[in-house]
Amino acid sequence: MNLFRSREHVKNWSLFEEGTEAGMLSLDDAMRIMSTPRHRNRLSLNYVSTFQDTVPVFAARLLEVTDDSPFWDLRPS
Amino acid sequence: MSDAAQLDETYHYIISVFVERGQAPHFTEIASNFGVSVEEGKRRLHDLMAARLPNWLFPETDLIASFAPFNNLPTQYRVSVNGEQRWFAQCGLESLAMTWVFPGKLVTVNAPCLDCGEPLRVDILDGVIKRADPSDITFYVDVPIKKWYGNLPFA
Repeated sequence: MNLFRSREHVKNWSLFEEGTEAGMLSLDDAMRIMSTPRHRNRLSLNYVSTFQDTVPVFAARLLEVTDDSPFWDLRPS
Repeated sequence: MSDAAQLDETYHYIISVFVERGQAPHFTEIASNFGVSVEEGKRRLHDLMAARLPNWLFPETDLIASFAPFNNLPTQYRVSVNGEQRWFAQCGLESLAMTWVFPGKLVTVNAPCLDCGEPLRVDILDGVIKRADPSDITFYVDVPIKKWYGNLPFA
């Protein structure tokens, strides 16, 4: 789960795996994924007890940002 | 076993300590904060870490290793708040979520590109990216998200 200077740098990385291009996200898309209540509510007094409530929004955001990519699909197969 | 209210208050205490000082509390501090025995503090810590949140202990210890979005061991994701570097992010993705635990403050992520070692920098304020240098910064993970919980530290 790392940041690189560009997509070209990802593909040039020694540990890049062919076939995992779906694992690349622009910075803006990554920020959108990390902006659901799952992340925004971490200072809430009831974060743990409401954590499961945040999963559907997070799962939907993942699919929205990635155009329904199976790589980012949290739903059971 | 901790009830939901205990898990909530233990979580809130730990993340608040991270925000304040950039490091995790020890379980003895959890005990002291809640006025319970040291053993009870340790139990509360272990109960929380078993709650399937993206947090984990260093193997075979009672020490917090990672507590999203923070990391208790230095990572390459150095985080500054209003210009002061005191925090480390769990990973590149969680470095972006740092903004939500520092509302109203400018969060800066500094890290090396793992391909070339050249620096990259992201400034974020309340979830809005104010600056990205270079402009094409890209996130990458090679593990599909369904498999992350199989081994979170290596996802």
